[in-house]
Amino acid sequence: MTSSTAQAEIAPPSAADNQRGVTRRILARAWSYTEMKLAAAVFLLLVALTLFGPLLIDASATKMSVADKFLPPLFMEGGRLPHFLGTDQLGRDLLLRSLVGLRNAFAIGVVSVIGMFILGCAIGIYAGYRGGWVDVILMRLTDVQMSIPVIILAITILGMSRPTAVSIIAVLILASWPVYARVSRGVTLAERQKEYVRAAKILGASDLRIMVRHIAPSILPPIAFVAVLDVARMMIFEAIFGFIGIGIQPPTPTFGTIISAGTQYLLNAWWITIVPGVLLALALGSLNLMGGVLERARNHILQGGE
Amino acid sequence: MAFAIEFFLRRISQGLVIVLLVAFVIFTLLRIVPGDPIRIILGPMTPASVLEQTAKDLGLRDPILVQFGRFVGQVATGDLGRSFIRGLQGGSAGGSQDAAGYNPESRASVAELIGTALPYSLQLAGLGILFALLVAVPIGMAAGLRAGKWPDRLGLYVSSLFVSLPNIWVAVVLIFLLSAKADLLPAIGYRGFSYTIIPAMVVAIELSPVMIRAISVSVAANLGEIYYDVGMVRGLSRWTMIFKHVLRNAAVPLLNLFGAQMIGMLLGGLFVVEYIFSYPGVGMLTINAVFQRDFPIIQAVAILASGALVAINMLVDFTSTTIDRRLKF
Amino acid sequence: MAPQSMSKPGSPLMEVRDLSVAMRSESGVRPILNTIDLTVMPRSVLGIIGESGSGKTVLSRALVNWIKPPLAITSGSVRYGGRDLLALPEEEMAALRGREIAYIGANPTSALDPTVPVGHQILEKLRAVAPQLSRQDARKRIIDTLDAVRIPSPAKRFDEYPFQFSGGMMQRALIVDALVSNPKLLIADNITQPLDVTVAAQILRLLRDLQKDFDTAVVFISSALGIVSEIADDMIVLDRGHIVERQPVNALLEKPEHGYTRELIAKVPKIWTGAAEPPAPSAQNVVLDVRDVEKTYEVRDRNAIFAHRKVQAVRGVSFTVRRGENFGIIGESGCGKSTLSRLLSCLEAPNRGQILFEDRDIATLRGKDLLALRRRFQLLLQDPYNAIAAHSSIGRTIAEPLLIHGLVPRREIRKRVSAVMSEVGLSPSLYDQLPVGLSAGQRQRVNIARALVLEPELLILDETLSALDQVEQAKLLDLFETLQARRGITYVYISHDLAMVRRVCARIAVMYLGRVVELSDNETLFASSSHPYTRALLSAVPTVEEKPYKTETYLLEGEPPDPIDIPPGCSFRTRCPFAFDRCAREDPRLTLLSDGSLSACHLEGSGLPAVDIAGLQPVATVAQTRPVAP
Repeated sequence: MTSSTAQAEIAPPSAADNQRGVTRRILARAWSYTEMKLAAAVFLLLVALTLFGPLLIDASATKMSVADKFLPPLFMEGGRLPHFLGTDQLGRDLLLRSLVGLRNAFAIGVVSVIGMFILGCAIGIYAGYRGGWVDVILMRLTDVQMSIPVIILAITILGMSRPTAVSIIAVLILASWPVYARVSRGVTLAERQKEYVRAAKILGASDLRIMVRHIAPSILPPIAFVAVLDVARMMIFEAIFGFIGIGIQPPTPTFGTIISAGTQYLLNAWWITIVPGVLLALALGSLNLMGGVLERARNHILQGGE
Repeated sequence: MAFAIEFFLRRISQGLVIVLLVAFVIFTLLRIVPGDPIRIILGPMTPASVLEQTAKDLGLRDPILVQFGRFVGQVATGDLGRSFIRGLQGGSAGGSQDAAGYNPESRASVAELIGTALPYSLQLAGLGILFALLVAVPIGMAAGLRAGKWPDRLGLYVSSLFVSLPNIWVAVVLIFLLSAKADLLPAIGYRGFSYTIIPAMVVAIELSPVMIRAISVSVAANLGEIYYDVGMVRGLSRWTMIFKHVLRNAAVPLLNLFGAQMIGMLLGGLFVVEYIFSYPGVGMLTINAVFQRDFPIIQAVAILASGALVAINMLVDFTSTTIDRRLKF
Repeated sequence: MAPQSMSKPGSPLMEVRDLSVAMRSESGVRPILNTIDLTVMPRSVLGIIGESGSGKTVLSRALVNWIKPPLAITSGSVRYGGRDLLALPEEEMAALRGREIAYIGANPTSALDPTVPVGHQILEKLRAVAPQLSRQDARKRIIDTLDAVRIPSPAKRFDEYPFQFSGGMMQRALIVDALVSNPKLLIADNITQPLDVTVAAQILRLLRDLQKDFDTAVVFISSALGIVSEIADDMIVLDRGHIVERQPVNALLEKPEHGYTRELIAKVPKIWTGAAEPPAPSAQNVVLDVRDVEKTYEVRDRNAIFAHRKVQAVRGVSFTVRRGENFGIIGESGCGKSTLSRLLSCLEAPNRGQILFEDRDIATLRGKDLLALRRRFQLLLQDPYNAIAAHSSIGRTIAEPLLIHGLVPRREIRKRVSAVMSEVGLSPSLYDQLPVGLSAGQRQRVNIARALVLEPELLILDETLSALDQVEQAKLLDLFETLQARRGITYVYISHDLAMVRRVCARIAVMYLGRVVELSDNETLFASSSHPYTRALLSAVPTVEEKPYKTETYLLEGEPPDPIDIPPGCSFRTRCPFAFDRCAREDPRLTLLSDGSLSACHLEGSGLPAVDIAGLQPVATVAQTRPVAP
């Protein structure tokens, strides 16, 4: 028989804070970082460029022009407008090619992350909630899936058929859903023990209702923060696929194909490889920095910080 | 002791099932994708009747389950099959050479091909992990011990930067800077240990951000545990608490991360890096095999890779339960 | 400061002067402690009593200079041995900690590294503070001390991990850890707080004995007046960061000077003296009939291959509850009451036996029938914070069961919910708000409203009021009473709180190790219990009145046996002060005694010491007669 209250004297009871309030506080906390504002600005600028750049720059991402080939960027000797970042071996404008590549990569990243998030979390919540043999089978399935390296899976599937945006997204989802399933299952296992789930059951709520209305809203936000980082990861995969030749096929520009083609001219025209890479790194860097700041803001708030 | 026996019995049997399933998935996948392996083996000039006959002789027209059963039987005896394309001397034999009649004995054994390539891959992986640890341990520890202060921010910047650099691009940039421009290190192919250094740096840049983040998070989390403060109030020094207790506790999530995430990343990274640097490891072997539709090599590598992952995860989990007895498996 | 009121002569061991601590946050500076003055004399026990929020934990930590941001010391000194601890460099402070000044906190289970055996950690500390000791000597000394605090098989326990220790066992180990270096001063912050009353009583007695043996001065901090008054020589009362009163313990209880102290004393529940007449048993039909229910769980056995061990959580429990009755189930942690609650709420099915609700076995109900049962048969949970989902508005939360059961057309839901909200004392204007700002009591009301909206006939209250303070608890008990009068609801209270059960329940079952060991009506149970375990429980309740059951007579040894490995015979005999040889051979059955109670003991009540209930005097009579100052 314990003597009554067990609440900490100083810290307010953290369970008191509702999830929506917590999410808002995490965002507010994250926004208080200079890094967050900087990263968001860079990211938004890049997004704006990918959307409006092709309209503003009088050049083409796909049209070849032998006369303009190997033009260096403007800041180097010999560069000339409208080719801000120079041209490639076929005289195509590198900035435009990079922007189109960025847009495609971003689209693939976002769509595939949403896909793996939904698929993975649905499976994870179901497995964690049901437990028993359903859980065992689903989790062994994630083991199987996770023990096939992404690249092997990708080159096997994409390398043997003609890769399209859809098949690339499918491969990325197929390769990465287990992570989400694992995490959401783990959280569901913990959540399932909590009183509110027991309370809902006692009130007569069905399992589906509990999973959708009670468990999902409380476990998805933390996983969603992590998903921001995964968009960047998927964009890197897209670039790797393009480099190996199993990404979106030419003439559509992708980072992978630009970099891969540029390697042949590295000594004479290094910018073909380096410049698009810097742009991609900038985009990914801003995404990752935002994800990193969100993550630590979340840790800070969940550990009882203001 | 009883616990250990049960643990390994349980996990090894589960692991075998997993590897078997992976093998089946890959095996089936390779047989339903477009492209008839027999045409690859014999080359495009072979007459259709010869193709059919050889395919029947080799059992390639049997149902997939029958083929898979046969394959598992072979693997169980340690025989991973023979390459469709590579000759005994290493080079591609594919196609016309023996269009008149296919003789499997003339093709290289997959086990030998992998056996030759594996030491190179292990060397690259080892050096890559070593580089990554050299970067990640000091930064991650400092960030974890001084959460919210400048080392913590440094950790955030370094990990955000490194994780944003695609390995293909880093590879090209390093080749350009260190090899082509500065001529410090060799890069393409393999003619000595120095050929491993740039590829290992690329691998390390890919691995280190995950390590930095994991180390700093788990160290910082343990500093927030009650036992850490209480330990100092009990009369133990701060350094005793950090080295004897915090690191021990932080090791559990780190080990799990290593098993679950890093090994997969490492494998993926090796494949790409070896391909870029023409480094003669298992990764390059596999990627070339994919482009040449050399199925026996692909499936063997997939099986070995998943076997390695399963084994490493098993060891990681066992170590974790040994460190933290509360964990159950 | 009134040094003359301190009982021991000589120069003080520790002197705190003008100590203030504040919490700095983005929203400003909030004072936690205000100009605290106190003196600790050698070999004395100074009790500090304060409710939650009084700053007593912060004070205890300030005494060992363990104040971390966002807390900061804003003024004052803590003088020890001629030096101000607060101004001491870190190395010198570290040299005092664990050697001369020891500290034990309220969180025994998380005080040590979870991955290192307990004994090894104590050894590490001992070797750090006494490097001259050899490893073997240190080990022997620790095992001896573990033995001295009555930890069974100490040599084996030495190599066991913290999670293998129960809370009480762990607290003993920490006492060993604190005293093994012979400190001059021990700060004990709320150390009995997480423990069961019988275990807390043991720890208290142990600490008192050791304090004498080791000649250690103790600062004993607690929120329970009944506990501090057992051990302290002098007392300090802390209210919202201020010391409001200091007196020797007896004077404080008999002649409290400050209004807050009187309030504190008045709040300590009375069990025997001045208690209201308990409710009478009901004579209506049986609503709930629990018949010989059993539940076991399987756990993996680490020491055998592919083997499982059975945890016997509930071992054949039977009782009946009549309509309109208040039935109580009490017991300490591990007695099986939470498992029983899960069985009663139909979340799990028993391995054996039946639970009949109005003559229907609830384990056989499925689908619609189960849903219909859930409507009439509700359970309220303990934790007011986690029982309601945080992301729904209050009205939506209360409406949830109506939506699940489809009882009311959608447009009428708001009306229904608002009506229930007013009934439980929640303003209907809270309907659209999120529960984030609600107090524990308000949250519990949301919880109650959500159950009531279904108009249930039977409510099971599983530690429902445990997280609330006395005042809030009393209000909700009144609410339950009103609801009972209005709606004829039957209540089953599952609780560890004897005082509450004493107040509201007509009949009470006492559980020990998965069994009901005694089942009596309220008066019989409290006044003349016929089971030694019940008497031990009652003797250990922290109250400030004279008890009919003397702690010395009934104090229990050790802890309940592992439910995996229950000894043959009577399962209580390992701790029972009255056990005799028959108890080891024969498991006593629950038998009907002449006073109408059921008891599972070979002594059948008559073999236990006689009880004189009429001659009891409340110790704190003054507190009751004097009006409470505002």
